[in-house]
Amino acid sequence: MNRSAPRSIDQYLRQLREELAGSDAALIQDALYDAEEYLRAEVAAHPDKSESDVLELIASTYGAPDEVAGAYRDTEVKVKAAMATPRKMPKSAIGRFFGVFLDPRAYTSLFFLLLALPTGIIYFVLTVTGLSLSAGLLVLIIGVPFFLLFMAVCRVVSLAEGGLIEAMTGVRMPRRPVYQGKALSFWARIGEMLKDPRTWTTIAYFILRLPIGILYFLIAVAGLSVSLSLIVLPIIGVLAQAGWFGMSAVDVFSNAQPEWVFKTEFGIPILGLAGVLLLTSLMHLARGIGRLHAMFAKSMLVARAAPRTTEAAGSGAALAAS
Amino acid sequence: MDDSNERKFQKELNGGLVGLVLLAVLAESNEDLYGYEIAKRLAHANDGTSIFKEGTIYPVLRALSAGDLLTSRIVPSYSGPPRRYYRITEQGRSVLAEWKLIWASTRDFVDRFTETETLRIGHSS
Repeated sequence: MNRSAPRSIDQYLRQLREELAGSDAALIQDALYDAEEYLRAEVAAHPDKSESDVLELIASTYGAPDEVAGAYRDTEVKVKAAMATPRKMPKSAIGRFFGVFLDPRAYTSLFFLLLALPTGIIYFVLTVTGLSLSAGLLVLIIGVPFFLLFMAVCRVVSLAEGGLIEAMTGVRMPRRPVYQGKALSFWARIGEMLKDPRTWTTIAYFILRLPIGILYFLIAVAGLSVSLSLIVLPIIGVLAQAGWFGMSAVDVFSNAQPEWVFKTEFGIPILGLAGVLLLTSLMHLARGIGRLHAMFAKSMLVARAAPRTTEAAGSGAALAAS
Repeated sequence: MDDSNERKFQKELNGGLVGLVLLAVLAESNEDLYGYEIAKRLAHANDGTSIFKEGTIYPVLRALSAGDLLTSRIVPSYSGPPRRYYRITEQGRSVLAEWKLIWASTRDFVDRFTETETLRIGHSS
């Protein structure tokens, strides 16, 4: 209210970004994208008026930056509250430990760990191919446009990865791409892209995603196979006792080692219990890894208050520094 | 400059109404609409000034879309960033029907008090 009303689209977006400072980076990216769509359409709809004349009226139609920022924050909170399924979480420590089985996020996170290997391979191949082809073709004239194409593909894929992570872990990721200013020449755009740290963090993320994916996949597969086979063990024992396999439990486990486990009354049930505990721990671990990974992805793929391109870049950087 | 109390009241009223109006506009429309177009339709229907600040409809559109009440597709635009066109889903239509009933009964309920008050004042004076 006490600041000067914005007189250009860039000024408006800068003020909106300031008003949203401290909000989720993904929310900021969406809000700026929406505002830019509206403002540019409004300016295009009034070809007889200058940009500053159109912007003068914007506070009464689209809303002043502080109002719009408030709307985004409120809606985000309301939607989160409305979408979150109300669950009665068990209070006791044991209840909280086993309550993880009631949390859909734990299952989807576990699924994300399994999916991390194939997606990691795709990202790795894409990035390494793109980078080496760009470098190799650099001596030819098509190397530069190829690099641009490669980066465009990377941005789309990073948005898709964000969508996957949001679906699996529930952590907010951007739903709109960053809009690149239009008025840039071909070479200026390449320059901007090379200067933009997000270009390099995105590439680094895609390359790192393979080793990370391997690790996640190992954790999920090892955890699942060990815990599930431990859980199944006593069931096999009971079935064998009932003669299902045509032999007695003693026969089924006759060669199993160590003897003190398999030849005593309580050994096998205790193994089953250990399997349940292990599976529960795995669910907790998967949920934790999912959240951590989402934070990591957000720091690599989403620009936090990145300065705008062209003439706003200087003032934007000054703003970020202040 | 309107009174800040009035503005606050209007804002609180708008909370759930924006979603209802957006669903209704999209249900009426034969074609897919994008944010700016919807904003202008609302303004035109009310003599050029919408009672909602147009900037507030975008986050609601996104929220409705996240709730599967709307679907959307992206179309490149000459004037700015690519536009997101929205269309109401079947689920959106059934939710709209429910919300319309809720709105009608709420409006009748509120009217019953606010209008009898004016009547009573009219009688007593």
